[in-house]
Amino acid sequence: MYTGPVGSANLPEQIHDYNVHIDSNDVFWMVQVEHDAVEVDFDNSKASLRVRRLPVYDDHDLANSLTLGLGLPGDLGFPFPQIAPVFPVRAKVSFDVEWTGILDTAKIENSMQQFKGTFLSTGATIKWKAEQDGFTFQSEEPDPSRNLISVLGREQNGVFFT
Amino acid sequence: MFEKDSASRRCQQKFVSRRNLIRGGAGAVLGAGLLSTKPAYAGHNDDDRGGRSRGPIIKPIPGGVTPFAPFGVFVHHNPLNPANALAVANISDPSQITDFDGFVGLTHIRGGGTGTDSSGTTQLAYQADMGFGQGKFIGTDGFEHRGTFAFV
Repeated sequence: MYTGPVGSANLPEQIHDYNVHIDSNDVFWMVQVEHDAVEVDFDNSKASLRVRRLPVYDDHDLANSLTLGLGLPGDLGFPFPQIAPVFPVRAKVSFDVEWTGILDTAKIENSMQQFKGTFLSTGATIKWKAEQDGFTFQSEEPDPSRNLISVLGREQNGVFFT
Repeated sequence: MFEKDSASRRCQQKFVSRRNLIRGGAGAVLGAGLLSTKPAYAGHNDDDRGGRSRGPIIKPIPGGVTPFAPFGVFVHHNPLNPANALAVANISDPSQITDFDGFVGLTHIRGGGTGTDSSGTTQLAYQADMGFGQGKFIGTDGFEHRGTFAFV
C-alpha cells in the first residue's frame, strides 16, 4: 500500500506490506486455505480466490519483508533507496480475486526450470480489505482496467515434469 | 550510523528468533503430518504462525529471484512481468510449489482504496501480487498429497 497516486508503487512511499512470510521450508508467501477458497474452470479461463480474515504480517514495505526486517542502507552505492528497519505487526486480510477472459495462451515445456503445462494470460480483478490495530483499508470496487498481468495455468513441475 | 546498525541487528535478532520459533512449530507439525496423507486445512485463527498451514509441508521451486541483492533473501518465486501480458509463452514457472501437478494463478494488479485510522480517511494506492495453487504435490514427507494454497 502506497501514499502515491493509483498506479504507482514506489518503495519509499510504501506504508503497508501484507504477506504470510516465507515458511519454514522456504516456500514463498504460500498458506494452505480451505479447498473451496479456490474455484477453477480452466476450460472457460475462469478462476476465483476468496479468503476471509486471513492472519498475515504487515512488514510495512517490501524491502523490510525481503530483508527480514533490516530495511535498506541506501548509502552503499546500490540502486535502492534508504529504508528504515521496521518490525512486522499482525493484521488480517480478506480478498476476492477473479481471473477471467483470455488475452493469450501458450503450451510451455521448459526443461531448464522443469515445468510444463498450458498457461493463459487473463484479465483479473480484486477487491480486498485489511484490518489491524488502528488501521483499516478497503479497496475500490473491482476494476478490470487495474490488471497489469495475470496468469492461469494447468501445470506440472518437479517430479511431475517427466 | 553505529546506532542505526545496532538497531538493525537487534531488529534482525528479534525477527530471526521469532522465525526460529515458527520453524520449531512447523517441525512439530511435520511430525504430525506423517500420521496422515490427508490434507489438513489451516485454521484462520492460527495467529502463532501467521495463518500457516497445519497440513503437509510443501517444497519451494528451485528457481526464483533476489529483488534486493545483496541485502534481501532469495525468494523462490518468479514475479510476473507486465511486459509479457500478451506473450505468456515467455513466463517462468508461476508456481511457488515444486513437485506439483495442478492449477496455478497469479495476478499483478495496481489500484486504489481508502485507508482509515484515528486521523480520518486517506486515499491510498495498492499493488496486489497474489495467486493460488491447487492440486497434488509431493510433500517433504515424500508422500503425495492434495491441497489448496493462497499466495499472499
